[in-house]
Amino acid sequence: MRVILRRLGVYAFTAWVTITVNFILPRLMPGNPFDQIAAKLTGVVTAQELQAIKIQLGGDINQPMIEQYWHYLNQLAHFNLGVSITLSSPVSTILAGQIWWTVGLIGVAAVLSFLIGTVLGVVFGWMRGSRADNVIPVATFLQSVPYYFLGTVLIMAFASHWHFFPLENAYDLSITPGWHWDFISSLLRHSELPILSIVLSSLAGWMLGMRNMMVTIAGEDFVLMAVAKGLPRRRVIWHAARSAILPSIANFTLAIGLLVSGSLLVEQIFNYPGVGNLILEAVGGEDYPLIQGIFLLITFTVLGASFLADILYYVLDPRIRTATAH
Amino acid sequence: MTLEHNILDVQDFCVDYGYGESAVRAVSDVSFTLGASRVLGVAGESGSGKSTLVYGLTRLLRAPGVISDGEVTFTIGAEGDQRAFDLLAATEQDLRAIRWSHISIVLQSALSALNPMRRIGREFDEVLRTHDKNSSKESRHERAIELLAMVGLDADRLDRFPHELSGGQRQRIMIAMALALRPELVIMDEPTTALDVVTQREIVSELYELRRQLGFAMIFITHDLSLLVELADEIMVMYAGHIVERAAATDLYHAPRHPYTLGLMNSFPPLHGERKELSGIPGTPPDLKSLPAGCSFSPRCAYAMDICHSSKPPLVPVDETGRLAACWLHDPSHSHSVPVELARKHVRGVEAQ
Repeated sequence: MRVILRRLGVYAFTAWVTITVNFILPRLMPGNPFDQIAAKLTGVVTAQELQAIKIQLGGDINQPMIEQYWHYLNQLAHFNLGVSITLSSPVSTILAGQIWWTVGLIGVAAVLSFLIGTVLGVVFGWMRGSRADNVIPVATFLQSVPYYFLGTVLIMAFASHWHFFPLENAYDLSITPGWHWDFISSLLRHSELPILSIVLSSLAGWMLGMRNMMVTIAGEDFVLMAVAKGLPRRRVIWHAARSAILPSIANFTLAIGLLVSGSLLVEQIFNYPGVGNLILEAVGGEDYPLIQGIFLLITFTVLGASFLADILYYVLDPRIRTATAH
Repeated sequence: MTLEHNILDVQDFCVDYGYGESAVRAVSDVSFTLGASRVLGVAGESGSGKSTLVYGLTRLLRAPGVISDGEVTFTIGAEGDQRAFDLLAATEQDLRAIRWSHISIVLQSALSALNPMRRIGREFDEVLRTHDKNSSKESRHERAIELLAMVGLDADRLDRFPHELSGGQRQRIMIAMALALRPELVIMDEPTTALDVVTQREIVSELYELRRQLGFAMIFITHDLSLLVELADEIMVMYAGHIVERAAATDLYHAPRHPYTLGLMNSFPPLHGERKELSGIPGTPPDLKSLPAGCSFSPRCAYAMDICHSSKPPLVPVDETGRLAACWLHDPSHSHSVPVELARKHVRGVEAQ
């Protein structure tokens, strides 16, 4: 337990650094968000309006730096990330609305891909040296195809040419969202191709990683002992798989961390809502509060995921548990 | 003890690594029998094929190891009710039934032989449950405690992970586990090599004691002949995949007939008796891919004659006791006199046990 607390301390420090950099960075850039917005305003702008925008953006820019920083931390503690310039609503609300699309689509796809890939890896790892090894070149090929290419080809073939799947969007826009079957089925139909594309492109990585670990672990004495003990084959495989899966689990938690930033391509290609699309909009519109908000969200998911990896390793590997306890 | 049957009968056993042209013969035409409740010692340097031999016999060889020839018959049961298994023809299912219940094995490194992710208790439980599906969890736990007590360990070791135990404790656990199902044959693959001499000593005496109580047969592999002489009834010395000498343990130890056996004995300090200079064996074990012509040991042999470099000596009886050696020195038609070190008189009457 003390170990986890110590790790938590390290992450808290990292989070503080991130937050501070997030505060300093925009202030070091030439020009400032306020000028950007002011330049965009048309018509007669009163001094009061300008002052209001300044406050909206996180305080009076003429305040001393330290006070601005304090104000910024205070706002952050209340999940107040400011107001988006382009979308004119609070950044926290926008993120809260969009994050579920990303988690729902890319999260589900990542979990599916990890599970299928790992199980296949265990099977092919156990069958090493047989004809099943022919799967390796195929997997390597799949792994080396860039995602945007695979995604585009899938859309062209299965959505544009053969119409097996809808072309774009998260649901049929003519249906009003709500808890009814029409909407839910439309939602599922629209998620099929994006999920398939993600699974196809990332499956091979999980599979090859797990297969290699299985081959390594299967050579260990304790697996030989499991055979010598007359255990049924599935138990022998389990002996090996339990140890072999550790690196894969660590990699998976790290992959979760990259989920938000990785969503950009998928959401662009399939014109799917989510944080990925938001990033593009925010950068395109020089929407500083939104960019800062997304930046924080991404760093916090990465931090959270690696913390999760630490905990999982600690829980799953008794050797680490002992080594860190002493 | 009553008339004993042979628990293991091995004929012309061969193991290759690899297939076809690139195959390397690691075990070559090995034949021996092992009586129930007897101990066979197998000695030889690393790479002599002693481990490959037992992995082959128990069908535990991993790719690219292949059994290329031979017959192995494993016989269990009391007189009148004996069951014989052809181990080389047995299916996976037959093997699973025989493994551990009748033949168990202890490996050199207990640390790698125990699953690092599991507590010791779970390993015991698993092996007991696999072979007796109807046993209760409590009875299995009791049995595990009983087994640990047999090797002098406390019950609290069951809650430990392998990395939390000392090397000696781990090896004792492996031995306890090997005896869990009261097998008729226990194979020990250098069980004491990775341990310090004191622990080695303790474990050997424990094994001696356990064997006296439980009466299982044992194949004990080591390169330490002095250790074998205390445990084994018979010793088989291997070199480059061949048996070069086989004799009753004390005969072999006190009166070796093969120059390689003599070399092995001079490589270890004796546990008892006067101190002698350790001479070791010059050179290194041969490359199995390009074995020398004639006797494989001839390039390292101090007594090598012309014939040794051209013709392979057969494993034949070398005196009236019927002990076997594969060496031209003992063939009168090729050698006029046997070197005195290889012609010591047997010390009769101090037969092992």
